[in-house]
Amino acid sequence: MAAAAQASVATRRASKPFYFNAESHLTRIGRERATNLTELLQGLKSCPDASIFYHTFQTLREHHYIRGGFSNDFAQWTFAACNEAGLAERLAAADVRDFTSVQEIRDRIVDTIESYLKANPASGARPAFEPFYFCASVTVVTPTPFVANTLPEFTEALRQVSLECIHHHFITARLRPPLTRNDFSVWLEEEMGLVSLAERLNRIDIYTATLNDARQRILQLVQQAMNGAQA
Amino acid sequence: MSPRKVPDAVAAGSAPLSAPSATPEPTPERRRRPRIPEAPPVPAPPAHLNDYEPIIGKPQLDELRFLGRGLSGKTVKMVNSTAVGGGVAEILNRLVPLMNELEVHTKWEVITGGDDFFQVTKGFHNALHGAAYDLTKEALDIFMMYNEQNRQRMEFGEDLIVIHDPQPAGLVRSKEASHGRWVWRCHIDLSSPHPGVWDFLRPLVEQYDAAIFSSASFTRQLSIPQYLFYPCIDPLSEKNKELEESYLEKIADDFGIDRSRPVITQVSRFDRLKDPVGVVQAYKLVKKYVDCQLVLAGGGASDDPEGAAVLAEVREAAGDDPDVIILNLPPWCALEVNALQRISTVVVQKSLKEGFGLTVTEALWKSKPVIAGAVGGIPTQVVHKLTGVLVHSVEGCAYQLRYLLTHPEFAQQLGKNGREHVKENFLITTNLKRYLVLFQILLGVTQPRPAA
Repeated sequence: MAAAAQASVATRRASKPFYFNAESHLTRIGRERATNLTELLQGLKSCPDASIFYHTFQTLREHHYIRGGFSNDFAQWTFAACNEAGLAERLAAADVRDFTSVQEIRDRIVDTIESYLKANPASGARPAFEPFYFCASVTVVTPTPFVANTLPEFTEALRQVSLECIHHHFITARLRPPLTRNDFSVWLEEEMGLVSLAERLNRIDIYTATLNDARQRILQLVQQAMNGAQA
Repeated sequence: MSPRKVPDAVAAGSAPLSAPSATPEPTPERRRRPRIPEAPPVPAPPAHLNDYEPIIGKPQLDELRFLGRGLSGKTVKMVNSTAVGGGVAEILNRLVPLMNELEVHTKWEVITGGDDFFQVTKGFHNALHGAAYDLTKEALDIFMMYNEQNRQRMEFGEDLIVIHDPQPAGLVRSKEASHGRWVWRCHIDLSSPHPGVWDFLRPLVEQYDAAIFSSASFTRQLSIPQYLFYPCIDPLSEKNKELEESYLEKIADDFGIDRSRPVITQVSRFDRLKDPVGVVQAYKLVKKYVDCQLVLAGGGASDDPEGAAVLAEVREAAGDDPDVIILNLPPWCALEVNALQRISTVVVQKSLKEGFGLTVTEALWKSKPVIAGAVGGIPTQVVHKLTGVLVHSVEGCAYQLRYLLTHPEFAQQLGKNGREHVKENFLITTNLKRYLVLFQILLGVTQPRPAA
């Protein structure tokens, strides 16, 4: 029975294939810049959504090889240029998986800084060691040759695709409908009927792992499912 | 202070480095005369796109090919002011063949001008970096006259025209008569330009469709879109390609470096802004705790009076310490520099002012822990305690050197992160991709997806 179930997971065909895409990015330099926390706050309120996206989601891609450290540029700058470790920790705690829009992320960061400056008013005008330059991400989605109809095809492709591809499907997908979920989990649940596996993938911690770690963890979970663990 | 005993080997600028010393002096075995090539080697053939696959992976190459296909049949012209020498020519030498290999037909043209033109543009260059400059109407006339001559001589029938740096910026006056999209690629730091020179250039720059800068901190407020393209290195160039262990041994032997003890290296021309004397001072503070060697390798002392003066200051600071190895290298020593960086235990770039700092990029690419001054483009590359260490003083540099030399696991992790950072952001293949994406956007081949 278990062997049959195992075989069925490994050979099950998706009702729709998974097409792997990648992202190419350009960084556009914005108009806003900040030389202290008060100016950062002003910039955060007026900058375009693409800037918030760049300094939160893009940081995860650009620094994908680092475990630990700060998860977004606002936290990194607050720590390194303003020497405000307490605020930096609070900003770093903003988990992109908790939000369903860039506006929500913006509101959370603004609230965090406003609260901090209310309690520490002297910090607002203290000059930073170096300015913060607001940038924005310009993204072009590029297709890849990889397509998966089954779990073995999925794992084979996942081993080979670029990290930009994993970032596209596993990180930035969380801002695309259906919100807060990654593309892999959506496909596994909706097209393969693997609800539990989909949920386990969605729980992989992208802040304590590199993108390559995430790739390995996904492969491990999918392999376990094919080997007969609960899928 | 007693006069420093300078091994002739390091007395560059006065005699060929490999010439026999007129007054040989006793030196330890490892301090024998460095063997430095006297003539440039035969240039290596340029790399092909497929050669990059082992470095960046097949998916990345596929992505470049996909982006290239979107531009198939489109034509590009790159224009700068020199065919040889300088970072821009070095990049274009690599970039243009790669674009053509992707069938994005790309030409590279160089503007011409008399000595008077290049004297003016050199003045502009320094002024745009913030130096004092006596801007005259004559200088402006010379600048525009040569730009006009080149404009009349050149044709601009391409779909995309990329003008590099201020020298040919005036060519944009041909934009109205062309169907192409025009991009100004600024390789210099415009953060505090001479107001008169910038006021003159700005109306020209704002006629372009887009501008590209090497760092967000190098930009000005402009009415046109500005994009960030980091400078890049070629991982397959002589300066960065992988080297055989036997070659590293040979170079260590040639230069008198003892590989059984830690090696601290700074590669920079002999220039006060690179603070080589500060590096010697930091080394001396470290030497009290760790038995190490210092290698200062650079050029600029043979053809530049100021470089020669700085070299003398460095020798003076080094005293008669046989573990300070000072190498005044000719410009064709890319392979030797590559080897020196790979031999090093820690690489230092203690600049007081810096452009982007490609020597830092080179060291990070070789997985070396880097300690660098927090100036110019260095903080973009060295994220403090993640991809390297930033310092602001001789004492800070010395402390971090001691720390990294005695905590090799941390140093190794920094080096590993540093290489990944370069792979992600500062390789020529990334630069190529940025151009392809920008061209697609400018030509409307693809619409950028909104952020969210």
